[in-house]
Amino acid sequence: MADSLQNPKPDISAYYQTRAAHHAVVTSDWLAQAQSAVSIQTNDDVSSGSDGRVAPTGGGTGGDNKTFSVIDEFNSWRKQPDLAEAVAAIRALAAVIRASQATTMMELEIELKKASDSLKAWDATSISLTAGCDLFMRYVTRTSALEYEDFNSARYRLIERAEKFGEISYKARRIIAMLSQDFIFDGCTILVHGFSRVVLEVLKTAAENKKHFRVFCTEGRPDRTGLRLSNELAKLDVPVKLLIDSAVAYTMDEVDMVLVGADGVVESGGIINMMGTYQIALVSHSMNKPVYVAAESYKFARLYPLDQKDMGPALRTIDFGVPIPSKVEVEKSARDYTPPQYLTLLFTDLGVLTPSVVSDELIQLYL
Amino acid sequence: MPYTNQAAALIHSVKAVGERLIAANPVELAVGNVVRRVLHIVREEDLSLTTAAMAGLNLSAESDDEDDTDRDNHPALSAAAIAAASRSTLRPPSLQTLLEDVPDSAAVPHTSSSGGDSEGKSKSADKSSRSRKLKHDVIEAVNELIQDISTCHELIAEQAVEHIHQNEVILTLGSSRTVLEFLCAAKEKKRSFRVFVAEGAPRYQGHLLAKELVTRGLQTTLITDSAVFAMISRVNMVIVGAHAVMANGGVIAPVGLNMVALAAQKHAVPFVVLAGSHKLCPLYPHHPEVLLNELRSPSELLDFGEFSDCLDFGSGIGAPLLHVVNPTFDYVPPKLVSLFITDTGGHNPSYMYRLIADYYSADDLVLERRTTSGN
Repeated sequence: MADSLQNPKPDISAYYQTRAAHHAVVTSDWLAQAQSAVSIQTNDDVSSGSDGRVAPTGGGTGGDNKTFSVIDEFNSWRKQPDLAEAVAAIRALAAVIRASQATTMMELEIELKKASDSLKAWDATSISLTAGCDLFMRYVTRTSALEYEDFNSARYRLIERAEKFGEISYKARRIIAMLSQDFIFDGCTILVHGFSRVVLEVLKTAAENKKHFRVFCTEGRPDRTGLRLSNELAKLDVPVKLLIDSAVAYTMDEVDMVLVGADGVVESGGIINMMGTYQIALVSHSMNKPVYVAAESYKFARLYPLDQKDMGPALRTIDFGVPIPSKVEVEKSARDYTPPQYLTLLFTDLGVLTPSVVSDELIQLYL
Repeated sequence: MPYTNQAAALIHSVKAVGERLIAANPVELAVGNVVRRVLHIVREEDLSLTTAAMAGLNLSAESDDEDDTDRDNHPALSAAAIAAASRSTLRPPSLQTLLEDVPDSAAVPHTSSSGGDSEGKSKSADKSSRSRKLKHDVIEAVNELIQDISTCHELIAEQAVEHIHQNEVILTLGSSRTVLEFLCAAKEKKRSFRVFVAEGAPRYQGHLLAKELVTRGLQTTLITDSAVFAMISRVNMVIVGAHAVMANGGVIAPVGLNMVALAAQKHAVPFVVLAGSHKLCPLYPHHPEVLLNELRSPSELLDFGEFSDCLDFGSGIGAPLLHVVNPTFDYVPPKLVSLFITDTGGHNPSYMYRLIADYYSADDLVLERRTTSGN
């Protein structure tokens, strides 16, 4: 049982495996046309994705006497490409409540705490998983304080709310898209880094509102997330231009605003996002361009990274196309931290926020 | 039914009048702010009455009829929980309310009206008194708001001694009643300091301010706007008034102030903005230089008699060769502002969102945003 709690591939973070799996599922048709180097990458992704699927199932059979594993549940939820990780976490915790034999609120809370701890330990690199678990735990403690007539109705209500959370997360994306429309003006050029569902929704809504704008996508090596985003945008007839990651400063004078998503929004108001966000924010700061972040509020995490290396790195494989001598070291972290002073505004479902509001929201919830 | 929807009807009519007021002068953001403040007052007063009524309803439901609680959408919820939920609709959305199911604004009036109905079965007289009470409470609260706005100068001026110290040099540009009273309040408290007044072209209101300051016995120096950078190294603090303060902490201020703010930043001089809380606007500036600006007559800049040849529409290509642009306002970005002094105290630019959350309901922002984007 202890083995099953270990991540199956310690050199690649579970967080990254999911991303890679999603990546492969959605774009395999398109990637098939790409170069052979890319298709090697895809195969690799698929195998790592299936590895991730096999190992927890093994863990489930190992713990057969227990008949239920929260990690199994979580993994089955997060295989759905359109479901955010925090939603999967909350769904998994709801399943814990349903399977629970507890008869008092206190027992249930302890059981949930154990489940959420094991979830968090299973993949310490995923910020939204941790944030989702924390948010739901907080909700459970707060609601039990509210007066319910009996334990069963409280339990029923918790399950119901957890199941609605997928809807909430979908609605959050819509709200963010609506809020950010005012910021996209006719004739503007937007630089986008990485593939984010929220950012795509924002741009999609702007296109539906008949705004005329141009998008610059960074390539997003080595995942090539930018290729995927540009593909989606081309379908919407939005003029889009692909840049190699190193061309950001070169093109910045044409750019009116930078729009990025976030893996997590931390307490300082800074964001943790795909590798390269920090340097784009630095370039746009020095050229006086606004940097906007689109992120759902359940990505707000109780972390306060002091510098780049303060976070446990989310490791990944990098395919350079040619063999790398074993003596050469490779930086494998998949994401970086952008401090709040380089961000202009955050578009969240709580409204358009300055970075300093984030800590305020978190303090209100957890204090 | 007309009684139970009274708050909604009131909000509707205030909105209708408010939209016309805003349309009359979209550049004057204070109009929209006050309309939103009044709407917020109506919502708040209605809520406090509903909560009170709900508490009474709960007592009666426990004693005799079960019908009431069955009709309720959430049988598991007690009345106190509903009241707590409806209270949260007035607050802006937050992480706390993310999982609670009240984002539907329609759901809350429904429960409150069903509460009103069942109550009406027993005592209809009580209901009409409640609606009268709502009107009364709103009028009272609006009067309070009027009072607040008319006394904001004094409240701001009271804080003057905390900010202006002995033998300091203060720089200001143009003329603002708030700044005048602020400086005079410090003078009255026996602070001796000097004031540099930049004249504020093209309307030269700085001249009037200088004259006024001298009559109050303040040591005053008048400078041209272009001399600001030359003088800023001698200045201890810049104090200016504002036209509007935006949600991100940016300031719409008389033209020329962005230059002053940049000069102040260059020499690390604190740039302090005085603004009554009615000037706090819950919108974000989109192209403030163009959309929130007013272009005034060229006659303030030059004499038509002398320049009539250059401004002749009949000559050459059909348009005059000389163009005159006379904008009224500047946009000062939040990073250049050191401190806001409002009637509630001193605040950092990044704290403005907090005041906005206190003063305005989230529902009103969205509605007004549509009307402002129309102009």
